[in-house]
Amino acid sequence: MIARDRNWLLIFAVCVALAVIYPFFADGYQLTVIRDALIFGLFAASLDFFWGRTGILCFGHAAFFGIGGYIMALVTLNDAIPFGSLLGIMGAVAGAAFVAAIIGYFLFFGGIRGSYFTIVTLAMGVICQQAAVSWSSVTGGDSGLIGIPPIAFDVGGLHVDLSQDLPSYIFVAAIVAMVVLALWSISRGRWGTVLTAIQDNEVRAAALGHNAPLRLLVTFVLSAAIAGLAGALYVCMAGLVAPDLSGLLLSTEVIVWVAVGGRGTLLGPVLGAIFIQRAQQTISSFNPSLWPLLLGCVFVIIVFVLPDGILSIYARLKSLFKGRRRAQ
Amino acid sequence: MDFLVTTLLNALTLISILMLVGLGLAISFGLMNVTNLAHGEFVTVGAFAVYFVQSMGGSFWLGLAAAPIAGAVVGCILEFAIIRHLYSRPVSTVLATWGVSLILQQGLELTFGLGAKPVTPPIEGTFDLFFTVYPAYRLILIGIAMLTLLGVILLIGRTSFGLDIRTVIQNREMAEGVGINTRRTYAIAFTFGAAIAGLAGGLVAPLAIVLPQMGVNYLANAFFVVIVGGVGSIGGLVAGSVFVGGLTSVLNYQISPSLAQAIVLLAAIVAVRLRPNGLFNGASR
Repeated sequence: MIARDRNWLLIFAVCVALAVIYPFFADGYQLTVIRDALIFGLFAASLDFFWGRTGILCFGHAAFFGIGGYIMALVTLNDAIPFGSLLGIMGAVAGAAFVAAIIGYFLFFGGIRGSYFTIVTLAMGVICQQAAVSWSSVTGGDSGLIGIPPIAFDVGGLHVDLSQDLPSYIFVAAIVAMVVLALWSISRGRWGTVLTAIQDNEVRAAALGHNAPLRLLVTFVLSAAIAGLAGALYVCMAGLVAPDLSGLLLSTEVIVWVAVGGRGTLLGPVLGAIFIQRAQQTISSFNPSLWPLLLGCVFVIIVFVLPDGILSIYARLKSLFKGRRRAQ
Repeated sequence: MDFLVTTLLNALTLISILMLVGLGLAISFGLMNVTNLAHGEFVTVGAFAVYFVQSMGGSFWLGLAAAPIAGAVVGCILEFAIIRHLYSRPVSTVLATWGVSLILQQGLELTFGLGAKPVTPPIEGTFDLFFTVYPAYRLILIGIAMLTLLGVILLIGRTSFGLDIRTVIQNREMAEGVGINTRRTYAIAFTFGAAIAGLAGGLVAPLAIVLPQMGVNYLANAFFVVIVGGVGSIGGLVAGSVFVGGLTSVLNYQISPSLAQAIVLLAAIVAVRLRPNGLFNGASR
């Protein structure tokens, strides 16, 4: 469902241009709001890379976000470890990928797909949250860990210090743009085509010589690694990590972002994440208990009204006009 | 000795509840291939029904009678309004039912307010079981659950509606071919599962903390009951309940409940990997 290349690149360029000019119009606070929304956008894109291309829904993706966050926190809070920020990010990515590799191996090579996969990953999210709560000597239990320093490192003369608003915004925006572009080029190429074949008919794809479980596993691991990266970035920006970062609610929220933005478009989920978080902040400021109610309604409405997300409105309008022109 | 019997009875309490909750899931997940994430809320609705009747001055037993009715009403509305339109779209069902579960949770919270709701058991005190003394209400709970299960077995095995259900499980197209209204069968079966889950909620209400969010705890466990046990048979349901419920009860003595929950779910995942054929009824989805 990746939109045709030219259109997609056009929308991507517009988004990048908007991200570049945004700091000229925004103050520090607005920059940090968008920065955090972008991190969740990266998280949404990571889920979409798997869900959108394979059609298999992972209902515990926040587990990887949380694992990345906790690893980043533990590494940077330990003074004995040099280059904390860099090693923390690498550890977060590797840790999330490692867990995904084990779980994915169990599930994909066990022939588990569809609803069963969804349920097992749902439990995986619950497990991670419970583990974070009960393993309090390491994770800080219910209250989590606080005082995580902002990212700072020196590599080959390049000095990076993200304690200020503007540098951290630029850093995050650049990473999100690069990762989304990379994911897109992977999924529009041969890799994505094979995944589509597996989604359509796995038995036939396997008969053509594709190692379907391995393809799914690698895609899943890549997706989890990026979720771990997003988690690592988030805890440094927020300065704290807590069990709900790997919990069920965040897992479901990221699914809404992807569904609203349009599954399989990679860019749509990022926009969906930013859009919905703004809406959430606005609505919660009126009445905090109203938000979950609205979130639930959005789920139901999306399923019935916009199964392909907000980006599909454009395609629908276009086909509407085309149809008219033909009718005249 | 008495420790062993107490552990066994505690396990039996949990297993009974899981069986009742899992039954509805086995119907929707196994029979209809509908992943209903709002199933935990049927339990919540049942528990709230007991609380509501009690707070209006009614007895516990009246509340317990209202619980399955409340579950059935919510289940029937859900099936009619949403699920029947999504039988061919599994992923959409997951999204929609999760949305419904959020709506139900928040709706209950807005109606009844924050905080845990007190539900008093109909019988206080303990019962002398020769080996040990055990809370009388828990024994009643186990008894009612077993009777309900027996009723369900008879319903599915001995009535014409049960025959319809078994036919639809085996082959939907063929069932339609011989004139069974599969849509109606689905609707009734779904409502029935919701009613049993509501009854389970009513039964646990005096033991559990009655909160709008309580359903999530039962949802994950009940799914594993169904997956571990394998869909489509009462025997599988019992086996899955014994696995999940028994392990949880035993672990709860040794370690914290949240860690116990995590370990049980991990064990269930491993079980699913090791015995996929027995667990998945041949066809994986």
